[in-house]
Amino acid sequence: MKPIIQVKNLTKEFTFPVKKASVGWVKNFIKPQKRTVVAVNDVSFSVGAGERIAFIGPNGAGKSTTIKMLTGILHPTHGSIDIMGFDPVQNRKKLAYHIGTVFGQRSQLLPNLPLTDSLEFFGVMYDMPDRDIKERISELVTLFELEDFIDQPVRKLSLGQRMRAEVAASLMHRPRIILLDEPTVGLDVVAKKRLRELLLKINAEQGTTIFLTSHDVGDIELLCDRTIVIHHGMLIKDLPTKDLAHTFVFEKYIDLISQDAFVQFPDLPQGVRYLTKEKEKISIAVDINNISITQALTKILLLFDVQDVDVYDADLETVIRHIYEKA
Amino acid sequence: MFKEMTFALYAIKKNIQNSTELRVSFLLTVVGMAINNGAFIATWIFFTQSVGEINGWQIADVVSLNGFVAISYGIMFSLFVGIRRLPQYISDGVFDRFLLSPKSVLVRVATSSFHASAVGDVLFGLICFGAYIYLAGMTIPQFLLSILLLGNAIGMFFAVSVIAYSAGFYFTDGFSVTYSIFDLFMTPTLFHGGIFHGAMRFVFTFIVPSLVVGALPAEILKSVSFFQAVQLTGIVCIWICGALLFFHRSVKRYESANFMTFGR
Repeated sequence: MKPIIQVKNLTKEFTFPVKKASVGWVKNFIKPQKRTVVAVNDVSFSVGAGERIAFIGPNGAGKSTTIKMLTGILHPTHGSIDIMGFDPVQNRKKLAYHIGTVFGQRSQLLPNLPLTDSLEFFGVMYDMPDRDIKERISELVTLFELEDFIDQPVRKLSLGQRMRAEVAASLMHRPRIILLDEPTVGLDVVAKKRLRELLLKINAEQGTTIFLTSHDVGDIELLCDRTIVIHHGMLIKDLPTKDLAHTFVFEKYIDLISQDAFVQFPDLPQGVRYLTKEKEKISIAVDINNISITQALTKILLLFDVQDVDVYDADLETVIRHIYEKA
Repeated sequence: MFKEMTFALYAIKKNIQNSTELRVSFLLTVVGMAINNGAFIATWIFFTQSVGEINGWQIADVVSLNGFVAISYGIMFSLFVGIRRLPQYISDGVFDRFLLSPKSVLVRVATSSFHASAVGDVLFGLICFGAYIYLAGMTIPQFLLSILLLGNAIGMFFAVSVIAYSAGFYFTDGFSVTYSIFDLFMTPTLFHGGIFHGAMRFVFTFIVPSLVVGALPAEILKSVSFFQAVQLTGIVCIWICGALLFFHRSVKRYESANFMTFGR
């Protein structure tokens, strides 16, 4: 299958003037020193049609810069991008007909007019015929459950309502790819859940490819089947989301529930350490590079009188923290 | 081209609707600006009455100069005020939005906003032309000429605005620089036309084309010279072409930003 997005050796450098403390104001003003920062460094990946990709990394990793290059906002310093046969630099306007974009921190809607006007505006901008615009608005209103606030001025919508509206607007022209930059930022748990469900729905029903950046574990875990990790501008991992834990965290966790109450906390075998020590429950981390989980469990059960045992992997939040801290 | 034009008209319509939603604010701004301009021209009329004719310029000419400048400025900065906001768009990263559009970036930027107070300028300009007709009369050829000259003035405002505000792509904080560049052009547009001679007239026609929007149209209207009007159109076309070229080159320097914004 031909990839819908193909990125090869993508690099973006930013150059800016810096003040040199050792020289005077005049010299800094006339001939400032320049510093070059590599925001994205030799990144390559491809995305198939209908995939749901999480593009993650800590702040300043190069996520937004990459999305901006994919959409033609920024021009790469080196490397190439091919989205459905279009180069975003050369064919930015043509590409715009095939992609939708949502920037969580930035609105594309008309603030003082009802939401329906913003949707219509997008339809006209994408050269849709009047009848098609009306039909599409009606479809999106149903799909995104916008009925309750479709006639309200956008500035009076809650953040959750506005984000749904932003996504709906970006889908007016039925793009094959939607790129979302932190779409759930600032939303409450209910609004986040609702937005994720809608994105899953358009992916399942319309085959829309989803490419999103997020710091929200839920977005990654519940929405994306593949995760690309970027740090300091470099791609450090590209793998199925379900494999994140095995790949980055070499610890498993054991919870021991006491028969009566834990009163003593003896030294643990090498490679095993306490996380919490309570009368009712002890949590233990096992370094699986040092000791297997079965060996650890056998030794631990000799030390404690337990009613129940629970063995589990790290949650995704811990995994991501590990990635960011260790990368 | 046709699609771009259709979209531009649609965007302007939506911007007007967006602005007029806040009715009281809209009306106050429009009327306030018209009154403000009225006070300004009253000063000029008083001055001209006191000193009399200067280099052939009479009260009617001052009135028509104000009419040309006010209407062209008003149309430019009510319908296409987005260009004036370009430095803000660049520094906030709002400019991203226009690059994501399938339409011409310049059309999207220009029609991204509507400025109600500039409608007050248009209103004032129309009053000036009414006063001109009262003072000097207007023949049909003069009326047609004034339409062409107004088109030229709007075109020149457009070209100079695009060049001045595109300078924002070259500076980290482009506000003060771009506004200064524009003011360098704008301030002399309202000066009494009789004071420009020789080298000064050349400079303010070809280098800083302030006279093209007010003083020269006022003189051409008075002398009813279609030839001079066509020459003026040529100058405006050259400036517009230069402005488009400069804008498209400047856009390549855009580096985006990540400020949080809403509805701008």
